Amino acid sequence: MNATFAIAGATFGEAVRKRILMVILLVALLIILISPAFEPFAAGRGARTLIISFGFGVIQLAGTFIAIIMCTGMIPTEIERRTIYTILSKPVQRYQFVLGKFFGAVGTLAFMYLMMGIVFLIASRLALGSFDPQIVKGLIMFFFQSSLLAAVVLFFSTFVSPLVNYFLSGGVFLMGNLLSSFLETIQRNPDVTPITRIPVQLLTVILPNFANFNVQNPIINPEQVLTDEVAYLVQTIAYAIVYMALLIVASMLIFNQREM
Amino acid sequence: MSDLAIKTVNLTKRYSGLWSKQPVDAVKNLNLEVHRGEIFGFLGPNGAGKTTTIKVLLGIIYPTDGEAYVLGKPAGDPKNHHKISYLPENPYFYDYMTGREILTFYARLFGIAEPQRSKRVNELLERVGLSRAADQPLRTYSKGMQQRIGLAQCLLNDPELLILDEPTAGLDPIAHIDIRDMILDLRNQGKTLFISSHQLSDVERVCDRVAILNRGVMVQLGRIEELLAGGHVELIADKVPDNAVEPIKQLGGKVSLHDGRLIVEQPDNGTVDRVIDIVRSAGGHIISVKPYRRTLEDLFVETIQGGKNA
Repeated sequence: MNATFAIAGATFGEAVRKRILMVILLVALLIILISPAFEPFAAGRGARTLIISFGFGVIQLAGTFIAIIMCTGMIPTEIERRTIYTILSKPVQRYQFVLGKFFGAVGTLAFMYLMMGIVFLIASRLALGSFDPQIVKGLIMFFFQSSLLAAVVLFFSTFVSPLVNYFLSGGVFLMGNLLSSFLETIQRNPDVTPITRIPVQLLTVILPNFANFNVQNPIINPEQVLTDEVAYLVQTIAYAIVYMALLIVASMLIFNQREM
Repeated sequence: MSDLAIKTVNLTKRYSGLWSKQPVDAVKNLNLEVHRGEIFGFLGPNGAGKTTTIKVLLGIIYPTDGEAYVLGKPAGDPKNHHKISYLPENPYFYDYMTGREILTFYARLFGIAEPQRSKRVNELLERVGLSRAADQPLRTYSKGMQQRIGLAQCLLNDPELLILDEPTAGLDPIAHIDIRDMILDLRNQGKTLFISSHQLSDVERVCDRVAILNRGVMVQLGRIEELLAGGHVELIADKVPDNAVEPIKQLGGKVSLHDGRLIVEQPDNGTVDRVIDIVRSAGGHIISVKPYRRTLEDLFVETIQGGKNA
């Protein structure tokens, strides 16, 4: 495991020095910091709802961009720069390399979420006068959402170029956010034929469900009423962990056969 | 197989692109044996298949056909990599790290624990002359310093076998000499070195045996002194009477006249002595006697151009 953590550490070190990721983080921090200034636009929804929804929106967007930008080049860049040759010529198994890369990505996301979370908590405390525990729950859920996305991107990066990966991962993220709602809609509609319904059902099962993680956002999911919130959170996190594990195992298997 | 550091048996690596009709054999039926403790030069023009072979030996790519063994075990077995080191051509390291950090990183990959890790890193920084620059980020390092740090990361595990791909390419003369001296030092320690290089004078100076690869096929293999046998001695003489030229021609070798001077190329010193005797007894003057040794460059050019013409 020493090699895995060494690779994870190097991945983290490199990611937090990437200018583009730092720019995204800084812009997100700045917007979160000034989010209370949008209070006058609440228009009846309540300042709390607006500030929290706005903050979550910014954090989710930043987390998504960071996960995609960070992970698309993670393996192709190592091959292009030939750093991977000096690593794989050491007593390092290929699965350790993939695992190290993933842990490094998750570590970077954790760091970014920590930064954004601290600023969000401070900004909301100043604007609302109290800490809202919903923020912590939301941050955890969005962190897992981004980590799952990172696993998707890393999986694609084992066999496609970064440019293709941007579109593939972006597409999977978009579909993973919309498919469950879309499926519910077409299931309610008796006119929809099985030819339309079955592929949507299949895709909903295969693709990761990113919408599950948005439950904290009262603007995005106003109709969502949770009877047992803790069970839902645990279930969703468990779903993310299992899905990530499957993706990482698949990445390892593909990368094991990959020629560089 | 125990005395062999590297062995390949009919090693073939074929690339077949998705759209290309004709598959390309980057390496074809390569049979190679590198003995432990020798310095082996692996030569060839660009695209000859040298780096492909190295990648197979390291398990970075897989052979299409044939077998490859490193230190007696199948190539690419990561458990074997404790005894191997590799320096790629134009190595790139995480340039945000300092020299010390990158060596610590690689030492962790080798599983070297503290306090040995710090001790080893410091020793190697000293050995490659980078102690003073140890805490500078690698992006501030010159090409020579990068190559030294590359060599240092190769030595972390005190390897039995070092595979060096163009270790002196692009270096200034001082850095070039430094790296070459380090390689000679490794030879004195009994390490096996497998060097792929275009710096033929270096290869000639440090290697025991060489193989030349052309278009994926091994076209030369042998000890340097055997491959380079067959030099000649050039004698230039002036005022040689015409009647002395014929007996010289009868001795064999190449005889020509330029601006009234006689130029004789003879394959061995014994015949040259006889030519000198004839010239002097005929009243001619010896201007110069110069031995020409065949160089690796000569052999390389002959081999590759011969292959092209074939």
